[in-house]
Amino acid sequence: MPSLGIGDRLPFYRRLSGGQRFAYRLLLPALAAMTIVHFIPILWGLTISTMGVDLTYASHWYDAPFVGLDHFRYVLGIENFDDVLVSDTVVGERYRNALKNSVIFSVGTLVVTYVLGLTAALVLNQKFKGRFVARTLLLLPWVAPVVVSLYVWRMMFTQQGIINQTLLTIGLIDEPMFFLIGDNSMWALIFAHSWTQFPLVMIFLYAGLQSIPKQLYEAAAIDGAGRWGKFRYVTMPQLKPVSAVIVLLMLLWTMINYTAPFVLLGGAPPKQANVAILYIENYAFGNSQFGRGAAMSVVLFLIAMVMAMVYYRYLFDDETTGAGA
Amino acid sequence: MIPEEWRLTQDRADFLFDLLSRGVLGLFIVLALFPIYWMVMISLRNPEEIGTSDPSYFVLSLDELRTVVFEGDLDLLASEVDFANYVDMWDQIPLLEFYVNSLIIAGVTTVLALAVAILGGYAFSRHSFPGKRYIGGALLATQMIPGVLILLPMFLLFIWIQTETPFKVVDTYHGIIFVYMTFTVPVAIWMLRGFFDSIPASMEEAARVDGCTRFQALYRVALPMAAPGIAATGMFVFLTAFNEVLFAGILAGGEVTPFSIGISRFQTQQTTYWGQMMAASSVATIPIIILFALFQRPIVEGLTEGGVKQ
Repeated sequence: MPSLGIGDRLPFYRRLSGGQRFAYRLLLPALAAMTIVHFIPILWGLTISTMGVDLTYASHWYDAPFVGLDHFRYVLGIENFDDVLVSDTVVGERYRNALKNSVIFSVGTLVVTYVLGLTAALVLNQKFKGRFVARTLLLLPWVAPVVVSLYVWRMMFTQQGIINQTLLTIGLIDEPMFFLIGDNSMWALIFAHSWTQFPLVMIFLYAGLQSIPKQLYEAAAIDGAGRWGKFRYVTMPQLKPVSAVIVLLMLLWTMINYTAPFVLLGGAPPKQANVAILYIENYAFGNSQFGRGAAMSVVLFLIAMVMAMVYYRYLFDDETTGAGA
Repeated sequence: MIPEEWRLTQDRADFLFDLLSRGVLGLFIVLALFPIYWMVMISLRNPEEIGTSDPSYFVLSLDELRTVVFEGDLDLLASEVDFANYVDMWDQIPLLEFYVNSLIIAGVTTVLALAVAILGGYAFSRHSFPGKRYIGGALLATQMIPGVLILLPMFLLFIWIQTETPFKVVDTYHGIIFVYMTFTVPVAIWMLRGFFDSIPASMEEAARVDGCTRFQALYRVALPMAAPGIAATGMFVFLTAFNEVLFAGILAGGEVTPFSIGISRFQTQQTTYWGQMMAASSVATIPIIILFALFQRPIVEGLTEGGVKQ
């Protein structure tokens, strides 16, 4: 923009219009609160991830010694350190396993919720009597308090639970299965979490379906497209922007979800389903290793960031996010 | 050979497809409702019957159900439905205290978060200003921060405040409410921005011409029109705060224990009081489901607004 002279030399605030100043004032409380609870703690978390903060330094973390990137080498198992806690020598291995579990949990939940959500959205998108009621009923899993729902799933997954009883009754299994320990626990976790989350995916995709112009389907019909053709060449491409948003949200939200593994699997989760965020909480607070816990959190954050970055350009180029102009 | 009258015509294909999609819909509704139904069923069972291998899907076994339905034997129904869990749960754990703590924490969080987010959402909807894109991006970025990364420094800060200053923050209402408020504000701003977008700005412009200040135009004109959206956002915030367990477990695990943490006490070393846990869960769930049924249209619109609108 060509310089007009005077305006350029005014201080930033004076250059703003009344509306712009008003907007800043409105945003001030939100930004102030977020600075205190989000932005400063993140920087602070980064700081303590390089400091030896443990129980000794819990009330005066600033006196803890600087340890550089030792914590990162330690928690990723790149290097083992002599430590008073013998079990600590395997922390790196366990944490890498926990990270792997987080990725499985995240991707698994995405696939299950997307398939369930898309199917439900497509079924709901047809005209029939009682559609509004059906939509309400399908949203209930998301509305019911998550903690409660997860305890119900935990109860249903027990050895005498209704799932085992049903499988036994119809003869699919001969003896009760273990869902909450061992190899099945990751599936149980993914399924229970997906049950609480699929309505969200459904309602996003449903809104997306509703906004597809009817003319596109008419045009496709003229070109001779059947049901599958319409789905493949009209519905899916048109859903792409909405899908982009919800896929990103599901991946990130699941990656950092603590409630589902905590409620479903409790304080001593099986190693097959011990996801990173649960492992960090147990390790950091159980052993009072706040510095190492912070380092683990930073690693998890970076992985979430990388996942988001893959999507970032895609999202902002399509201008499908509410964050832009 | 397929007889002529069995040939798959377009009409028949449509009919079969409709049948199939109704079937799928039915399956989904069963899947969605069963755990909620099962929660209520278990809560009404006699505590001694829970955990026994009795695969009945009702309070009554099939034989008993037949007797009740066909012979009108309501006494049998009355004798089988057992409200003991709803009576005993209050003594098993300090449940009332947990409910009250949850209501206070989630309720105050909702009011404060709405107050802050209404202002922010309005600014995003009605004004463009330098750095809007970056602030919006920062709001979204908060959604990918793992809770522990914030919890660890917050924990150290709370401990420091507790030991070095006369203020008490660990295990207090104000400590946890402040944390929750901030967590819910970004999403609340996002939702409210969508609601304000759907209200035409012309009314506020008219009010401005009539001499209202910008702020008066906001709270006298725009605010009442956005009421359904605000209710929906409020419910979202309330539920988020109500369901939180990570921060609650560390920062509010003692005197102000909320329901989300306290409910785990139905599990003891020896046994789990599933019946009572489900009774307590039903008491928490049913009002929320009723509230949702009342406000669902704006809630559903608010959720999808930001994601769908181009």
